[in-house]
Parts: sequence; structure tokens; C-alpha cells
Amino acid sequence: MTLLLVVLIPFMGALLPPLVIRSGRNTCAVATGGVTLLALALLMSHAPAVFSGEVPKAGVDWVPAMGLSLSVFADGLGFFFAAMILVIGLLVIVYARFYLSREDPMGRFFAYLLLFQGSMVGVVLSDNVILLLVFWEMTSLTSFLLIGFWTKRADARQGARMALVITGGGGLALIAGLLLLAQAAGSYQLTEILSRGEMVRASPLYLPALLLVLAGAFTKSAQFPFHFWLPHAMAAPTPVSAYLHSATMVKAGVFLLARLWPVLAGTEAWFLIIAPAGLVTMLIGAAIALFRNDLKGLLAYSTVSHLGLMTMLLGLGTPMAAVAAVFHVINHATFKAALFMSAGIVDHEAGTRDIRRLGGLMVLMPVTGTLALLAAASMAGVPLFNGFLSKEMMLEEAAHTSYLGLDLLFPVLATVAAVFSVAYSARFAIGTFLGPVRGDYPHHPHDPPLGMWLPVAVLVVPVIAIGLFPGPVAGPLVALTAAAVIGGPLPDYHLALWHGITPALVMSLVAFAGAAALILAFRRADALRARLPRIDAKAMFEASTGMFVVGCRRSLVALHDGALARYMGVTVATLIAVGGYGFWSATHGAGTRPPLPVTATALTAFLALVLASGGVLAFHGERLTALILTGVVGVVVALAFLQFSAPDLALTQISVDVVTTILMLLALNLLPKATPREQSLAVRWRDGTVAGLAGLGVAGLAYAVMTRNGTSISEYYLTQSKPGGGGTNVVNVILVDFRGYDTFAEIIVLGIAALAIYALLDPALKGAAVRRIKAMLPRTESRDAHPLLLVVATRVLLPLSLVVGAYIFLRGHNEPGGGFIAGLVVAIALIMQYIASGYGWAAERMKVDAQSMIGAGVAIAGLTGIAAFAFGRPFLTSTFGYLHSPVVGTFELASAMAFDLGVFLTVVGVMLLSLAQLSRVAHRVDPSPESREPMDVQLERTVPRTAGGES
Amino acid sequence: MTQLLPPIGAVLPELVLAISAIVLILIGAVRGEGSANLVTGLAIAVLAAVGVLVLLQPAVEVTAFNGSLVVDAYSRFMKLLAVLGAVVSLIMAVDWQAREKQAKFEYAVLVVIATLGMCMLISAGDLIALYLGLELMSLSLYVVAAINRDSIRSTEAGLKYFVLGALSSGMLLYGASFIYGFTGSVNFLQIAAVAKEPSFGLIFGIVFLLAGLCFKVSAVPFHMWTPDVYEGAPTPVTAFFASAPKVAAMAIFVRVVIEAFPHVTHQWQQIVAFVSLASMVLGAFAAIGQRNIKRLLAYSSIGHMGFALVGLAAGTPEGVRGVLLYMSIYVVMTLGTFACVLTMRRKGQAVETIEDLSGLARRNPVMALALGALMFSLAGIPPLAGFLAKYYVFVAAIQAGLYGLAVVGVLASVVGAFYYLRVVKIMYFDEPVDDFDPMPTELKAVLAVSGLFTIFYFVYPAPLIEAAGAAARSLF
Repeated sequence: MTLLLVVLIPFMGALLPPLVIRSGRNTCAVATGGVTLLALALLMSHAPAVFSGEVPKAGVDWVPAMGLSLSVFADGLGFFFAAMILVIGLLVIVYARFYLSREDPMGRFFAYLLLFQGSMVGVVLSDNVILLLVFWEMTSLTSFLLIGFWTKRADARQGARMALVITGGGGLALIAGLLLLAQAAGSYQLTEILSRGEMVRASPLYLPALLLVLAGAFTKSAQFPFHFWLPHAMAAPTPVSAYLHSATMVKAGVFLLARLWPVLAGTEAWFLIIAPAGLVTMLIGAAIALFRNDLKGLLAYSTVSHLGLMTMLLGLGTPMAAVAAVFHVINHATFKAALFMSAGIVDHEAGTRDIRRLGGLMVLMPVTGTLALLAAASMAGVPLFNGFLSKEMMLEEAAHTSYLGLDLLFPVLATVAAVFSVAYSARFAIGTFLGPVRGDYPHHPHDPPLGMWLPVAVLVVPVIAIGLFPGPVAGPLVALTAAAVIGGPLPDYHLALWHGITPALVMSLVAFAGAAALILAFRRADALRARLPRIDAKAMFEASTGMFVVGCRRSLVALHDGALARYMGVTVATLIAVGGYGFWSATHGAGTRPPLPVTATALTAFLALVLASGGVLAFHGERLTALILTGVVGVVVALAFLQFSAPDLALTQISVDVVTTILMLLALNLLPKATPREQSLAVRWRDGTVAGLAGLGVAGLAYAVMTRNGTSISEYYLTQSKPGGGGTNVVNVILVDFRGYDTFAEIIVLGIAALAIYALLDPALKGAAVRRIKAMLPRTESRDAHPLLLVVATRVLLPLSLVVGAYIFLRGHNEPGGGFIAGLVVAIALIMQYIASGYGWAAERMKVDAQSMIGAGVAIAGLTGIAAFAFGRPFLTSTFGYLHSPVVGTFELASAMAFDLGVFLTVVGVMLLSLAQLSRVAHRVDPSPESREPMDVQLERTVPRTAGGES
Repeated sequence: MTQLLPPIGAVLPELVLAISAIVLILIGAVRGEGSANLVTGLAIAVLAAVGVLVLLQPAVEVTAFNGSLVVDAYSRFMKLLAVLGAVVSLIMAVDWQAREKQAKFEYAVLVVIATLGMCMLISAGDLIALYLGLELMSLSLYVVAAINRDSIRSTEAGLKYFVLGALSSGMLLYGASFIYGFTGSVNFLQIAAVAKEPSFGLIFGIVFLLAGLCFKVSAVPFHMWTPDVYEGAPTPVTAFFASAPKVAAMAIFVRVVIEAFPHVTHQWQQIVAFVSLASMVLGAFAAIGQRNIKRLLAYSSIGHMGFALVGLAAGTPEGVRGVLLYMSIYVVMTLGTFACVLTMRRKGQAVETIEDLSGLARRNPVMALALGALMFSLAGIPPLAGFLAKYYVFVAAIQAGLYGLAVVGVLASVVGAFYYLRVVKIMYFDEPVDDFDPMPTELKAVLAVSGLFTIFYFVYPAPLIEAAGAAARSLF
């Protein structure tokens, strides 16, 4: 359980610094250090066990159902990394105490630092892959907080953002990778996964998992092609750079490769991808580092290069290379952290980090200078320092590596990288500390307080100790860690200063010679570099993301341009595509039902329908023409109903068509006469194609259904209509009885629709709307608006129509007809009166209010339904039982008819209400006095039209 | 057997909603324009009470109206979530309406009616109840999208939503009639009993039905309305759109495929996997170029629906549990984000571009922190709630062998992270612009709860997971 506390203590301790900062900066630093020390002590309590080969574990269940557990384990690798993180963390805390100025919010800084530390320890100790992922991304988040600490600086912001985008994105890829890995291994516990390497490597998921894991590891450890973010993150305060960007966070990627080495390494893909990526990173990093003038920039690229070195070693996949990688992790952590801190001291004291403005500091700050030179020597790989040893091992491995048949590729490029590596180390040392003292430093440099150089000194001790006595000092640790990485027997190696004349030694000597030449000819090399085309990876990143953004905006965002037609087009086109796919990929055929014979009449009607529909399409811009053609369609449809023995439907269709056409005509009078054309020809063709294909699809489906014999419910209605509903007109019985509930709801909807028309036309009665409509009205109008012939004809027809309406209503239950049709017929007759003699004249004589009529209709229908309750039957269904009752048999017709009367009244009311409101609008825009006479044939109407539209 | 009256307890929440809606309309109509606050307050109380009623329903499966409505653990879970979304978005609307002088009692009433539709939809046990619930919800939504009648953007949003919604409803009905025609039933369980073989007509029906449902959850390629409506509708309405209706539509989406088509899983799985994939990818890529935060959130919601559908594509109880968890976490995150968007007002004027958040970290560090956490969470970065949401669905997909879908999903979330982090970058690293107007207390509360949930959910996720697991199992 104490192992779990090692992870949790930094998180809990993160609350401490902000709380104690009021007691002073020293207290704050001591508290932070204390927390780290406590975690370190707890970790060390496991040291004997770890060194004796045990693997301490601890954990509690978190969400077992999801495979999540809060479990940690400390094998050699995890133990080593955790120890490294905590020790360097301790040194950084001491250093930061003196580095941060009085104005910096130290409490917050230390809190973030502890959060980061906890996340980092969590990464290296996690036993559960999901837990590892959680900590992995938390390192990104907390590093973001730390990098963003100096938010006032523009470069810090950019660096932080890029770091976050790249590592955060890589982390998400890692999620997928580890999930696939866990699936392949059948467990979420790393300890289990590590023992199932064979199984994973044989799995088809191996390659995708590997690629995704590498995306995570490479972004985190700044490997080519993601190497560019790290140097730009260096704008962060130096303690952060030292801690995150050299010693710990950037090693997380390397750690992950090492952690998963037993599972993933040893395949061709592993070697072919990782080894060259590491090699290229090593080379590019070293080459760029040489020409950096900013101390931290130089060190940053050097770090990139060294990370490449470690990655390459792990990528080689041999146990020997893995040992070398582990050894180099140890060595690099010591000398690079020391160098970063030294660079920070120089920056702090001299006031600049520009190598061109420095030099000769050895005299002014001897302690710092000495320590930095020692660390730099190790970085260069000078013998007697630890950097030399692991670099030799690397060169030795590279010398024996053949890549895709190229025997020289690795040795040569590794040597070139070593040349650059020595050269930049020398440039760092010479440019900063050696040479003559200058008089133009921004500040007056002198050695810093003990607290700042002591951490550096502590780090330089192992640099020398390991360099001199590698076996005794680092041997056990290397053996322990390497054993955990390899997961099997260690190869035969020994850490020693002198191995005899080996290829590696030769390569080292070449490197030193080359570096010396390079330093001597630095000016010329720099000039040469300046003339070469600059490849700025950051600018490329920015440019490519910029292009990406613009590309997204141009394509996808432009797709959503707000055009409704396009949106509908996409929707319909998708369905056509899916339908088409379904059609071609499935077996299908026409049904077996024989088609009906084609008569000449039917064919004529069909052609009329097609022509009229086509005409609507062609002339839809001219609204009156379109309306007339729609009427033709309606008539043909009514004829079709008649042809298929559905006289009720035909009657309904024709009367609905007449009423709507009349109302539409009245409405059209108040609208523009033509639809403006807004779309280009191409768009219309596109829409036409989509619509045509959709029509074909629907027609095909209809054909497929209609040519098949299916069972239909109509038989039930035909047989039950008379005994069940008491009528022989099935359609009417369905309307008023079987589905009376529907009809009831429908007339309510109809009434609401009329009220909505009323309400929607209301705004057209005033203000801007009236002016707009006036502008659209035709300037000339018929002189004979209420022609004599029409008036006479409608007067004669009115009683006739009412009688026909009553007749249709009464016969409805047994013959074609019913309340709905009757209502429409009566409505037509009444509307004709209005048209013939004008609204004013007709309204005077129409004593019944349309709204009341709708209300009465709905109320009557509803009451008929409720009346059923009196007979102990549910709402409306009672009609059924009611009719069966022999006692009240005489009422059977009356009940259904009462309901039908409700329908009738509602329909008439709806039509009249719509008409009334349309007339009101027409009257409002045409202020000529309403005629009180039934017709205007006797008086010459010469009222000049003043309202011509000038408004 | 015909049930005349349903067991009252089973439909009590719906009854309360229906009666309250009528009463609220009458109060509003009688008291006139000045009644907006009263009606809104009452509506909030009613919705909260309905939430409690749902919570108190016994944990047994009850059917009402001959199987038309089903009350089980699943419907209780989703109803609670939908009601939560509705009530919180209504609370967030109060201050906004007052400031914009848009206090209308109709809004609260329409939200109550829409919630009624959602509850019916979530409980629907047959295709007819599904359609009724869907239309009741949608019709209310069409109106609330255009509630700000004087704004061209708002009315245009409402109109577009209506026209496209009508198209999609038509497709849904077309599909439903195909399904009825080829199985002879509208009841989900009876359809499942008949539909054992993937016949041509049945597949057609499923395609059209799912197309209609995809429209409601705004899944690609039926998502086209989303950006325009999110941008055009008044912001509290957008918050409502982004939360409750999505839950309800997703709930019925899941229920209908799992309950009605368990024997043709392979067929609908392909459809769901495709729309899920397309939604994730389009949501991620299209959001990148956005400057308007509401439009950004529209694309983000499209992407999130894609992620949630990954769980459904798995077609397993674990997958459905993933969907439920995803929707829960998504709703909380979305409401918190909209609390921030609603706060984006300067000198009484609402502002909507991402640049208006510049330097928020220095102007209002707490809000910046909360919004930052929400953005990280929406991006799916561990250990925030959004990560666990994605984790649940991806694990289910991987277990079901949908490796490609899971991998593309993760890669889409990488792209998505790009624009969420851009918001964070702007808040933390750009030069501050003028302060926002002070944040109303209720928005602060919503943001605080949402932010804390997002950050600390991972500490104790078990209760939600168990509830979602029980809900998911009740479908199988």
C-alpha cells in the first residue's frame, strides 16, 4: 500500500504550497521538498525488495466492471524511473526556490510542480494501462500549466499551445493503441500484458496497436517528425525546462518503449520504424543544436538528439542495445539536468542566454563554470565521464546494424551525429565559459547562492563517479533496470572504461577529430548553413495547420452554407445512395401479381397527369399557371379514384380541390405573380437530378409493393361495415365509426389550422406588410368585378347546392357522401356568393359566425363521443355497442349522423373563416369603398386606383 | 386484452407534465404578458417534481396502453437525464430572457410540452407511440427555435428546422410503414418475434426509420440543420436543443434497434457504424474552421453523437451502457459549456465569437478554469469525465470487434482536441479584451456543478456506471 502512496502523496501534497506560502518562500519550498522527500522515502523502503528481484505491487479496485483499477507495481524499470523523477524533482525544488523572483507566485508554481511530479510517478508505476493513460495525459495537462506559467511572454504561449496540441493528440492516439494492446493481450494489467508478448505479436491487432502506441511515444519524446515542439516549449522557466524537458516528461515516451519492449519489440516492424526514426532525430537534433545561439535552444535540440539516441537503441530490438539505452537514460538525466540548471544560472546572472554575447564567464563564476564544463564534457562523450560510456555502447551497436541491406547507413549517420554532438558541446563550453572576459554583459555575473549551484553539483557527482567506476556505481542499477526492460536473461555485457580498440572507439575518435574541424571552421559552416534553405519545422507545422484549417473551412464549412435546398438535397441524396446500394446488392424482382389492363381512357388520363405534373415543374415560376395545372392533377387523381371504384375518395378529392383552388386564387391575388429565380441553372439541374432519382426510387418501391399479393385489412372493413358500423358505405363508416377517434382529432386539427391561418394573416393587416402587398397589386382591375351573369348563376345555384349538400350528408352512411364532402359542397356554394357579390355584401347576409361554427362542430362531435359514457361505454367506441343494442336500434343512424354533423359544421366554418381573413387583407390593401350592392353592372365604377404601390 | 386505463403510477410523470402544460398555458393566457416569470418558475418546479417522480418509480418493468409505453430501468434513466437537461436549460434561460427583454411565458410551456414528448418517446414501446412522442417533441422544438420572432436568424432557424424535420419525419413514417408492412406489427417486441430474417423490405424500413432518427440526434449525413439552428436560435434555446432532445432521440434510437431488431443486428450495425464514423469525422473536421462558439458547439455535438453511437454500434449491453454513460456525461458538460456561452455578454450585448474569450483567464480565472476543464473534457483528455465517456464506448466497440471504428474514433478525437484546445489557448494566452457582464448566480451554480463533476467524476464513477448498466440490461 505504501507504493500507492508514493503516487498519491504528491497529489495530496499539492494543496500544501499554496497554503503555506503566507509563511514565507522558504517554508513553501521546504514543504514542497518535504512532500517529495516523503514520497522518495516510501519508494526507497521498497528498494531492498526490488533489488532482490521481487516486484512490489499495490492497488485498490476502482471500477472493476470497466477493467479499471488503481494498481501500481515497481519492477526495476518503474522503480528506477520513479526514483529518478523524485530525486531530480527534489533538486529542482531547491533550485527553483532561488531561481524564482519575489514577484512570481511560488505557491502556485510548486503546486503545479507537485501535480506534475505525481502524474509522472504515476506513469512509471502504473500497472493498469488505463491508469497509465490517465497519468500520461495528466503530465501533458500539468506541464501545460507549468509552461504557461510565464504567460506574459508571447513565445511561451505559442510553445505551450504547440506542445499541448502535439503531446495531447499523441496521447489520444496512445489511448487507442493501449486499448487495442489490452484487447490483444486479454488484460488491462501491464504485468499480465508483459507476460503475453508472443500472443500480442501474433495478433492481427499488433501493427495498429504498435503504430498508435508509437504515435503517443514519439510525440511525447519529441521524435522525428514531431521533434520540433520541444525546443519551442523551452520558453518556460528554467526549473521547468530542466525538470520536464530533459529529465522526466520527455523521457516518458522512451519509458513507454522500454516498458512495452518485452511485448512489442523483436519484430521487423518495430525495428524498421523505430530505429531509423531515432537515428534521424539524433542526427537532426545534433545538427540544429550546433547552430543555436540561445543556450537553452542548444540544450533543447541536444535533448532531442539524445532522446533520438535512446529511441534508436530501443528500436534496434536487441537486448544489448536495450541495456545501452537504459544506461544512457541514467547518464543523460544527470548531465543534462545539470546543464539546464547551469544555463539558468547564466541567464539569471549574466542577463542573457545568447551565446554570442557570452564568454569568459569561467573567471567571473568559477563554481558554475567548473560544474557546467564537467557536465558538458560528459555530454560530448569525453572519456572518464558517464556520457562517454553509454555513447560508446551506442556506437558499438550502430556499427553492427544493417538496415534493409545497407550496412553503412547506421554506423555512418551515428558517427556524423556524434561529430555534431561533440561540436555543440564544445561550442556551449567555449562560447559561454572560456575565452576572454567581456565587458558588455547585461548584468554583473557572479556565482549564485549555494542553493542554486548545489543541485548542479549534486548532479555532477554521479557524472564523474559513473564515468570513473561504472561497474561498482551504476552496475546494479543498470542490471536491475535492464532486466526489467528485457524481461528475460541479461546479455553478456560489462560496464567498463576500456574495451580495447573497438569500432566504437574508432568512431569516437573520428567524432572528436571532425568536431574539432567543425569548431575551427564554425564561421564558415554557419555561413554555409545560412545559405542553405531553412527548414523551419515549427513554421511548417503552423503553415500546415493553417492550411488544414483553411481546407476544413473551404470544404466542410462551406458545405453548410445555410441553403435549405442543399441541406434537403444531401438528405435525399443519401437515401437514394443507400436505397440504390440496397437495390443492387440484394435479390429482387417484380411481383407476380398481374397488372390491370390498360384502357385508352386510363392511358389518356395518365398522360394528362404526366403532362400536368411536368407543366407544374416547368411553369412553377408563374404561379397562376402552376395553380391551374395543379388543379388538372387533382382532377385526374379524382378520376383515378373513380376508376378504382372509390367514389367517396373521388368526391372528396374533387371538392377539396375546388375549395383549395378558390382559396389559393384569393391568396395569389395578394402575392407576387411570379416566383423569382434565385438559383443558377447548374443548381437546378442538380436538384432536378436528385428529385428525379428520388421519384424513381419511390415509384420503384410502390411498383414492387403493388405487384405483390399481400393480405389487406380492407376485407375486414368490407365484412364488418354493415354489422359493426351499421352502414354500407365503408369509407364513411370508417370515418365516423371504426376510426372515429381519428376523425375527431382531425376536425380539431382542421379548426386549429383555420385559427392559425387567421392568426398568421393578422400581421398582413397593418404596417409594412400592407405596403408590400399594395406594391404587388396589379394596377388595372376588371371594371366588372361582380359580373351580372355570375351573380345570377350563383344565386340560382345556392339553394340547389344546399340541397345537394344535405342530400350528400344524409346518404353518407350508406352511399358515397358524408359530412366532410357535404361541408365542402356547401362551403363552395357560400364562397361563390362572396366571389360573385363581394365580401361586404355577402358577410352582411351571413348571420353565423365562422369561429362559432367550428366550435359548435367540434363540440357536437365531442358530445356524441361523451354521450357514450351514459351507456357505460368508453369514449366514442360506444357507437359500436350502441348500434348493436336492439333497444335503441332506431337511434343508430342518429348517433353517427350527429358526429358527422360536427364534421360538417367544422368544415364549413374552417372554409368561411379562411375566406373571411383573406378578404379582410384584400380589403385593407385595396381601400376602394366596399360596394353594398350585389353587383356593379348598373354603376360605372370609375374610382381611380390611388393605391398603385407607390409607398 | 384491452386495458382501459393504464396503471397510473407508470404514466404519472407524463400525466403531470401534460396537465401542468395545460394549466401553465391557461395561467399565461389569463395573466397576459407579465406572467413569464411566474410561468417559468412554475415550469421549473413542475419539471423538478417530474424528475423526482421518475426517480421514485419502483424498479420494475411496467407496460401501459397495451405495450405502447414501457417503463423500465432504461426509460427511468433516460427520462431523468432528459428532465435534467430541460430543467437546467430552463433555469439558465431566466436571466437571459430578462436581459434580452424576451420574457415570454410560451417558452416555458413549450419546454414542458417538449419534455412530455421526450418522456413519451423514451418510453415508447411501439412505432406509433414513437412517432407521437417524436412529433410532440419536434413540434415544440420548431417553435422554440423561432421563439424570438423579431430576429431573422431565429425565425430562419425555426423554419429550416421545421422543413428538414418534416422531411425526416416523413422518412421515418415511410420506414415505419415498411416495417409494419413486412412484419405485421408495430410493437417492438412483436416485430422482434417476426423479424428473424433480414428481408429486403424490412431492411428498407429500418434504413428509413433510422434516417429519421439520425436527423433527431443530428448524425451525419442528416445533421445539416444543426449548425444553422444552433447559431440562429436564442442561446438558452440552443442549450436546451443540445441537451434534452438529444437524450430523448438517442434513447429511442437505442431502444428501437435493440428491442425491435435483435435478429438483424448485423444490418443495422452497419448503418449505425457508418453514421457514427461519418459524424465523428465531420464533427471534428468541420469544427476547426469555426469562429462562432455556438456553431463550434454544433459541430462538436455532431461529433459527440458519433462517439455515443460507437457504443450502440457494438450492439451489446456494454455498448448500450456506454451510450448511456456517454449521454449523461455529455449532457452535464454541454450544460456547463452553455452556462459560459450565456455569460458571454458585454455591455448588455451577447457576443458569440471565440475571440471574445481572449484572456479570460486573467479577467475571470474561475470561469476560465471551469471552461478550460470542460474543453479538455470534451476533447476526451484523461482523467476528466469526457475521457471516461469515450473510454466506455470504445472499450465496448473493441470488445465487439469493431477495431476500425474505435481507431477512427480516437483519431477523430485527436483532430477534435485541436479546436477544443484552441479555445483554451485563447482563454489562457491571448491578450484580454473587455470584461463580460457579471455572471448571474444560477449560471455560476450550473457551471460550478458541471465543472466539478467533470473534474472529479473519475474519483467515484461506480454509481453512475451501475445505474447505466442496470438500465442497459433492461433492454436485453
